[in-house]
Amino acid sequence: MRLSIFRFDPDRDERPYMQDFEIELAPTDRMLLDVILRIRTLDDSLAVRKSCREGVCGSDAMNINGRNGLACVTPVAGLAEPVVLRPLPGFPVIRDLVVDMTRFFAQYDSIKPYLQNDEPPTGKERLQSPRDRARLDGLYECILCACCTSQCPSYWWNPEKFVGPAGLLQACRFIVDSRDRATAQRLDDLDDAYRLFRCRTIMNCTEVCPKGLAPSRAIEAIRSAMTRRPR
Amino acid sequence: MVKRGPSGWLAWIVQRASALYMLAFLVAGLLWFLVDPPGSHPAWRARMAGAGTGIATAAFFAALLAHAWVGLRDVVLDYVRPRSLCGPVLAGLGLGLVAVAAWVLRILVTVRT
Repeated sequence: MRLSIFRFDPDRDERPYMQDFEIELAPTDRMLLDVILRIRTLDDSLAVRKSCREGVCGSDAMNINGRNGLACVTPVAGLAEPVVLRPLPGFPVIRDLVVDMTRFFAQYDSIKPYLQNDEPPTGKERLQSPRDRARLDGLYECILCACCTSQCPSYWWNPEKFVGPAGLLQACRFIVDSRDRATAQRLDDLDDAYRLFRCRTIMNCTEVCPKGLAPSRAIEAIRSAMTRRPR
Repeated sequence: MVKRGPSGWLAWIVQRASALYMLAFLVAGLLWFLVDPPGSHPAWRARMAGAGTGIATAAFFAALLAHAWVGLRDVVLDYVRPRSLCGPVLAGLGLGLVAVAAWVLRILVTVRT
């Protein structure tokens, strides 16, 4: 398999470059991450993040042949060669395929991703009806890999002000949660020119989400909640 | 990280409501022309001089200008850098749209006299 991989070591390189690799696939090389890890045995200077290797941690998000995805759940069969690997677009590069996600997590933190409810619980826990619980489906599964946010042109233009699809998906998860009591404050917080409304419904986020989630639908749900709220 | 400003929802709803009105106006206007075409320029002027037509046309241009303002504002907020330039650019665009609104109003009033 032929690969062309983005390389940049700020301590050594003046500018980024693409390095070509050619590697014989082993029978155990099922996923792209398997191949990348074997390349690392040949060149241990290649920097890449990984952890769970099964699409749960979201560490190995990268741009694969122009489209964001998780290397660990991307089958090598069917990939066009040379496989072009780049770091997540729109994020500052630390080294090779490793990006700085500080701003991404700051936006996530800004939506207060935790249940807000000062009422004393009636029992041991706050209960939900099965119907209310079902409203969280498609929202709580996000693994914060940043594939969606990094593929969003609106985020490229305003990364410090636009929350981005991942953060907005998480915001929606708490806005629709029947146990949360901060819905009005959450909606107020998103109601300015940038935080939510920089979304131009490009829908790259939904197109690339490796978990099959639909951040664009969550964004639409937040807009609908804003329209329905009493004024 | 949280920074408040003018409502984003208001601009969003104005953009959609104005688009719906413009669509309805254009479809209704085209149907009117197809069903009952004005045969001459005086007939056309007489039609435009009607109170209902005038109000509907003025509302169309108001919707058009509001729609244009939201769209232009979006382009400025997305692309104009440094951000300190956004205010002056938006002020210039706003003045331009106000001038267009005055021009439209003048034409509509002239038609009625």
